[in-house]
Amino acid sequence: MNNIVLRKEVQERLDEIKEADIVVGIPSYNNAPTIGHVVRAVQAGLAKYFPYKKAVLVNSDGGSTDGTMEAVQNETIEDFQSILITHRVGPFIKITTPYHGVPGKGSAFRTIFGIAKTLNAKACAVVDSDLRSITPEWIDLLLSPVIDGGYDYVAPYYLRHKYDGTITNSIIYPLTRALYGKRIRQPIGGDFGFSGELASFYLTKDVWDTDVARYGIDIWMTTTAIANNFKVCQSFLGAKIHDAKEPSADLSEMLHQVVGSAFDLMETYEDIWKAVRISERVPTFGFQFSVGLEPVSVNLDRMIDKFKLGAKELCSVWEVFVPKKVLDFLCEVKELSRDDFRIPDTLWAEIIYAFAIACHKKLLNKEHLLKSLTPLYLGRTASFVMETWDSSAAEVEERIEKLCNSFENKKDFLLKNWDK
Amino acid sequence: MDDIMKRIVIEPSNRFFDKVLEFLPHLLMAILILITGIILAMILKGLFSRFFRVINLDRFSERAGLMEMLRKGGIKESASNLLAKIIGWLTIVVFIILSVRALDVPAVERILEKFFLYMPNIFVAALILFFGYLLSNFFGRAALIASVNAGLKVSGLIGKLVKITVFLLSITMALEQLGIGRGTIVVTFAIVFGGIVLALAIAFGLGGKDVAREYLEKKLRGEEEKDDIEHL
Repeated sequence: MNNIVLRKEVQERLDEIKEADIVVGIPSYNNAPTIGHVVRAVQAGLAKYFPYKKAVLVNSDGGSTDGTMEAVQNETIEDFQSILITHRVGPFIKITTPYHGVPGKGSAFRTIFGIAKTLNAKACAVVDSDLRSITPEWIDLLLSPVIDGGYDYVAPYYLRHKYDGTITNSIIYPLTRALYGKRIRQPIGGDFGFSGELASFYLTKDVWDTDVARYGIDIWMTTTAIANNFKVCQSFLGAKIHDAKEPSADLSEMLHQVVGSAFDLMETYEDIWKAVRISERVPTFGFQFSVGLEPVSVNLDRMIDKFKLGAKELCSVWEVFVPKKVLDFLCEVKELSRDDFRIPDTLWAEIIYAFAIACHKKLLNKEHLLKSLTPLYLGRTASFVMETWDSSAAEVEERIEKLCNSFENKKDFLLKNWDK
Repeated sequence: MDDIMKRIVIEPSNRFFDKVLEFLPHLLMAILILITGIILAMILKGLFSRFFRVINLDRFSERAGLMEMLRKGGIKESASNLLAKIIGWLTIVVFIILSVRALDVPAVERILEKFFLYMPNIFVAALILFFGYLLSNFFGRAALIASVNAGLKVSGLIGKLVKITVFLLSITMALEQLGIGRGTIVVTFAIVFGGIVLALAIAFGLGGKDVAREYLEKKLRGEEEKDDIEHL
């Protein structure tokens, strides 16, 4: 199983189970308060939509100390009558196992892929353990395109607050779309459906000691599926409400891992993205509706202050690879008042491409390079927040569309300077 | 009179001419070795200059910050040219030593021996300084970026302090390697560095105790003012 270490009792359990139609994975680390709800939603979803399929729920845990694994084992729906009209027929099996390797979501996923391969699963899904808005329908929406539609990869499509998922909105979505030509709105959503074949393919890749084993797993899964011509689609899941990330989660480390993984993938699939000129929609499943989302408080001053501090102190780092006109603009913008503070789309696209090129040419230590992006990202986020303060969700989506177009239009800059 | 002249002038002159005649082949050999060395140095310089350009050494040294250091020192030449020149000069130095040894003068040989014994120390000290400079740049930049991301207003100062400290440490190590003020330098460095750390600790303790307490209280009680923004 590609060197995946499993406990003896887990291995014995898998030998007993032999095969499964569906494997649903839940990676976790100290999620006892929320994981019970996720397990119940998965169980209900499987019972309601796939009653005749043999399904296995795998909890891949990173060494929780708050009773997460026990919560998974003890959580079950006793009375299906309140949820379903027909009672589940197929068996529902739970496996909880600690994963081994680099601590992180990627390593947890690797264990899930391994178990899916061992059980020869036809369809798999992974869902986050901190979800509060997951419903049984999510399981249907993530698995049905694989089971009934022949798709290999199902990305999530959520309703999120306009200031939720800012790394996705300002970097990862526009960049992935411009590079690979597929409009997958949430490339790093965290909840995915995929075929057993794709799970086995993921296991063949030797990336488990890199940032892919941590925050980089989501972008890696999405890009690998697209770049290797697997059949991709997305499913509308409704609102995504989840626990806030642990306060210790360092933004610059997050950026380093996610954006670093995206840049590493640019090296791997250079021939693919260089040939892509336009982006296209991907099939989207699910009934789309709008919901009210909890308001988000934003500390604009703090973000702008950090940007200005970065612009003052890090120019000597950026001048190595950022175009001079961009650097001049950053020096100007740091003098502006809060009301006038803006970072335009085209300039932002150029900054991200300049960082990608610098990473490719190894002009600077990679960690330094990517962590120096943090103040720029905060500046751009502040600019976006101020621009869209009074905008509706639909208007914000239009703004993001405009940003994506800027990334696509600026791709020539990337192509021209990549091998220069 | 003739006898006196013979003993005072002719014999010493003869001995001198004998010595000169004895020395001449050595001198010619030395000159020949030196000329060979100069020609070989020119050939090697050209060959290595081309080789370094082929392996893109200039771009690598630009990235490593080496060229920046050299420019600050007033050297405007490319790394490939500079290294090729160094190789050329090293070749000439080696041949100068060989030609001096060919002269077969014992006093010069003793001086050369001492010089040779000291050479490795100079080489190791130069290496320590070179890597010290690279490391000071690396750690200085890491500290600068980390403190900017932490929102510290004094991040520029922190970056410079880290850079200077690492470089000072490498200078201390290099001087110790050369055997210059062996004990004094280490003690001086320890006193200066310890003094700086103590001064900073006292300054932070006295000047920032309220800020530190407030910060720690917020951290421990989870009251730190921050966004609800979910970045991922």
